[in-house]
Amino acid sequence: MTTTTSRAPLPAPTRRRRPFNPRRAGAWALLVLAIAVSVLPFLWVLRTALSTNAALASNSASLLPAEFTFGAFMRVFGLQSPADAVAEGGSGAAIDFWLYLRNSIVFSSITTAGAVFFSSMAAYAFARLRWRGRNAVFSLFLGTMLVPPIFTALPNFLLIKNLDLLNTMLGMVLPYVFMTPFAIFFLRQFFLNMSREVEEAAMLDGAKHLRIFFQIVLPNAAAPIATLALLTFIGQWNEYFWPLLVGSQDDVRVLQVGLGVFKSQSPQGAPDWSGLMAATLVSALPVLILFAAFGKKIVNSIGFSGIK
Amino acid sequence: MKKTLGAVAVATAVALSLSACGGSSSSAESAKGEISYWLWDANQLPAYQQCADDFTKANPDITVKITQRGWDDYWSTLTNGFVGGTAPDVFTNHLGRYGELAENNQLLAIDDAVEKDNVDLSAYNEGLAELWVGQDGKRYGLPKDWDTIGLFYNKAMLASAGVTEDQMKDLTWNPEDGGSYEKVIAHLTVDKNGKRGDEAGFDKNNVAVYGLGLNGGGDSSGQTEWSYLTNTTGWSHTDKNPWGTQYNYDDPKFQESMEWFAGLANKGYMPKLETTVGASMADTFAAGKSAINAHGSWMTGQYTGYQGIEVGIAPTPVGPEGERASMFNGLADSIWAGTKKKDASIKWVEYLASADCQDVVASKAVVFPALKSSSDKAAEAFKAKGVDVTAFTEHVKNKTTFLYPITDNTAKVKGIMEPAMDAVVSGKAPASSLTQANEQVNALFK
Amino acid sequence: MTTLAKHTRSAPPQSEAPAPRGGHRRLGDLKIALLFIAPAMIGFVFFYVVPTIRGVYLSFTEYNILGDPEWIGMDNYTAIAKDPLFWNSLAVTGQYVFLNIVLQTALALGLALLMHQVAKSTLIRGALLLPYLMSNVIAALLWFWMLDYQIGVVNQFIEWAGLSRVAFFGSEEWAIPTQAVINTWRHMGYTALLIFAGLQAIPGHVYEVAKLDGASPFQTFRKITIPLLRPVLVLVLVVTVIGSFQVFDTVAVTTQGGPVNATRVIQYYIYQRAFTESDFGYGSAIAVILFLILALVAFIQMKFLKGNESDLD
Repeated sequence: MTTTTSRAPLPAPTRRRRPFNPRRAGAWALLVLAIAVSVLPFLWVLRTALSTNAALASNSASLLPAEFTFGAFMRVFGLQSPADAVAEGGSGAAIDFWLYLRNSIVFSSITTAGAVFFSSMAAYAFARLRWRGRNAVFSLFLGTMLVPPIFTALPNFLLIKNLDLLNTMLGMVLPYVFMTPFAIFFLRQFFLNMSREVEEAAMLDGAKHLRIFFQIVLPNAAAPIATLALLTFIGQWNEYFWPLLVGSQDDVRVLQVGLGVFKSQSPQGAPDWSGLMAATLVSALPVLILFAAFGKKIVNSIGFSGIK
Repeated sequence: MKKTLGAVAVATAVALSLSACGGSSSSAESAKGEISYWLWDANQLPAYQQCADDFTKANPDITVKITQRGWDDYWSTLTNGFVGGTAPDVFTNHLGRYGELAENNQLLAIDDAVEKDNVDLSAYNEGLAELWVGQDGKRYGLPKDWDTIGLFYNKAMLASAGVTEDQMKDLTWNPEDGGSYEKVIAHLTVDKNGKRGDEAGFDKNNVAVYGLGLNGGGDSSGQTEWSYLTNTTGWSHTDKNPWGTQYNYDDPKFQESMEWFAGLANKGYMPKLETTVGASMADTFAAGKSAINAHGSWMTGQYTGYQGIEVGIAPTPVGPEGERASMFNGLADSIWAGTKKKDASIKWVEYLASADCQDVVASKAVVFPALKSSSDKAAEAFKAKGVDVTAFTEHVKNKTTFLYPITDNTAKVKGIMEPAMDAVVSGKAPASSLTQANEQVNALFK
Repeated sequence: MTTLAKHTRSAPPQSEAPAPRGGHRRLGDLKIALLFIAPAMIGFVFFYVVPTIRGVYLSFTEYNILGDPEWIGMDNYTAIAKDPLFWNSLAVTGQYVFLNIVLQTALALGLALLMHQVAKSTLIRGALLLPYLMSNVIAALLWFWMLDYQIGVVNQFIEWAGLSRVAFFGSEEWAIPTQAVINTWRHMGYTALLIFAGLQAIPGHVYEVAKLDGASPFQTFRKITIPLLRPVLVLVLVVTVIGSFQVFDTVAVTTQGGPVNATRVIQYYIYQRAFTESDFGYGSAIAVILFLILALVAFIQMKFLKGNESDLD
């Protein structure tokens, strides 16, 4: 995707290697600090995950795992017996990791695919088609960003219940699958800046909008669409409250909700910190892999289209 | 973006909308098949799984599917279930919640069955069975287990301070000078320089080990925080219990006790409230930051499970009226009014409340079952594990318990009292400020 | 692809939707447009409009979710006007929004400049984006664990540094700043990338000219970078401001409104009233007010910051 890079200016001419520049060194120091702040907590997650939960509190001053064990990871994958788990001070609760993982993947993929595709259609209509009331309708769509989610949670829950879709994947997916206001906003902004010439040439050839959209617009927008898809996927992957609300039963429970078993089991009790941190790492893994695979392109193009 | 924030557990409130669709189908249908059962404490799962297996053996046409859900998500998920029609047939119920559930017709009254099947309500520890009779006079659950409050202490710290375990058993307390309880707490407190809380030169701003741990402000009930003290003065939360309609936070006796309690933090004997937001009190005890923690019996496993710490349990101190006091909280198993397996559910609840199941629970030494005979067995099972739990059972034996306050509007009362108590315990407001909060609370009942 | 890019660059950026100013095309894609927006419209109507209308209706009722909502007119609103906790929640939320925006924007802008001028490495950008991969709830729990007064690692370091421990979540002074910092931590890298992308879109020759004119780096920043970056900054600001007003997750899993009322932000207060205390009508009414506030804030931002115009021409 050269789209992004070619849009970007050539490297600033001032960038040339020089022997030593205190300002550059200072800048690097700041950057390293920022990276440390971003990354170090993950090391702490790992350290905690590799500790025995019952030993954590008394070893709070140690930077190494407290009584090193893979027990927490085994708990996450459901490989540890409740008795062993309790002996390590962990949660004895059952967790069906692979089922939750599958549910998470299904939930996030469907919502992402649907939201991005339908939003791109709508964004095209808002950016490229001329019709009465277009801007008004677009403003209304944008306005939904302002509606506090807490406000619509109950009515949406009741709606899903009336449709008899509680504890089904369909019920979990419905509110997200048609669009997200951010996706429409993001893509519209990109479409606005796309060249009209190709489109108009095609138009002269008698091409219909549908064909233009699928054969010209979508391929040209591959980079921002991929970016948007990744961002949406991350958001959906981390979604917690709606799946908790609508899909709390085992067969549709997603990972984020499943992680709850590591939180406190009884009133005033302590969470299973090791288990929780291990689960955090494991559940972030799919996103990390996605990110490692496509991250480069995405990091390069992130946001630019939403901004122009 | 941050969009999705709190879609929120529609939970709590929601639930109730679903009217009780109670009416059962033909009794043949409702007496067999699979019933679902929920509980929150994972530590008790193995015991109840065994109960379920035994139950199915005795009743081959009924199977029980147990779902465990941690406390943090339990009530919201349950309430969703009520609203959405997906609630379990039978579930573990809490005194702080059931009033609202009963009032909203979510619970099945089981009086007829209890009478028909001759469930002996006197076999339970005193008071437990009565707790589950609602304001309408109907029974909404059979007792399952109970808990009281005790003092968990760090044996090594006691030894190095020269406090004997016998001393711990004879502590006294009063709101004026804190009695021997305060003296022990002060003595167990150690600052960064190794000076004890009762020594000259003690630096109350740099404390290494607090004599007494703090869980929080205690909101409306103070279950583990202060009720074991305040209720030794003759004070009680409400005008009557259960179903009181007037709270007593304006009583000078109570406010005096709270003033003393908040004073502990000020003296450096107890952590400041602000430092307790975060890790649980039990964890900080394990980290060696406090010598004594007043906590509930259901936490026993947690405390004794920490590595490298020897834990003892002492009874709560004797108050000015010459008696100890402990909140007595009981759980029960209730049936959802919307169940389609009414008869099977009743059978299961009665089995859970029977000696057959409660003895199994007792043998795991996690909690105290409600039946007197099973309670004793649990105490023995604890003993076999090397844990002496007489501090908890003593309260029941000597009848020094008082009941968890059961009223209407518990959620709203908590909403008002939580910040009010926090302000007092953190020393930001005098205990007299509770009078105003109390007016707000009592206005709810008008 | 390159053709596209070339075209894009040759055509001046069109910030406004190409309104029917030319009129050289027939003004009538309505049918096809309807087809294109139909799926999105379904989601919009059923999961945004209808629930919003229902919510607004409920705000005029007394509704404990049992039984039926009962119409009580403006009662909820008049009660809210007299509710000290509502006003407190506004103040607390305002404090949070202010801190969060200042911190997040300043840090992200700084990072973006660093990335732009010092290190264009993808790896670095990826590292900065890591926190964003974690969910809000988990990020909050993680920091709750690390910042704990007694056994948190951060306080351990503070103590090793010879300072006294800080009650990050428990003290009334620190609670809101701590929440703001956690959310800044999670979103900083992401926001920086947005701004970074904007920086990259500024043509290099603009800087060359400035250099030839002998502008100092600071002058360049003030006179060139900031104005040219304005559309991006406005977008970032609008989105983060709206997002910050809706802070909820971090509060819900950590302080739950406390100590006393120090973190009882507006969304949490709505949650408490509507769900914990079963007063859905009242909660809805506060939500309506929040919605109006957000609309007003967004409107003001767009008007004053003129986010729709670029200074590049």
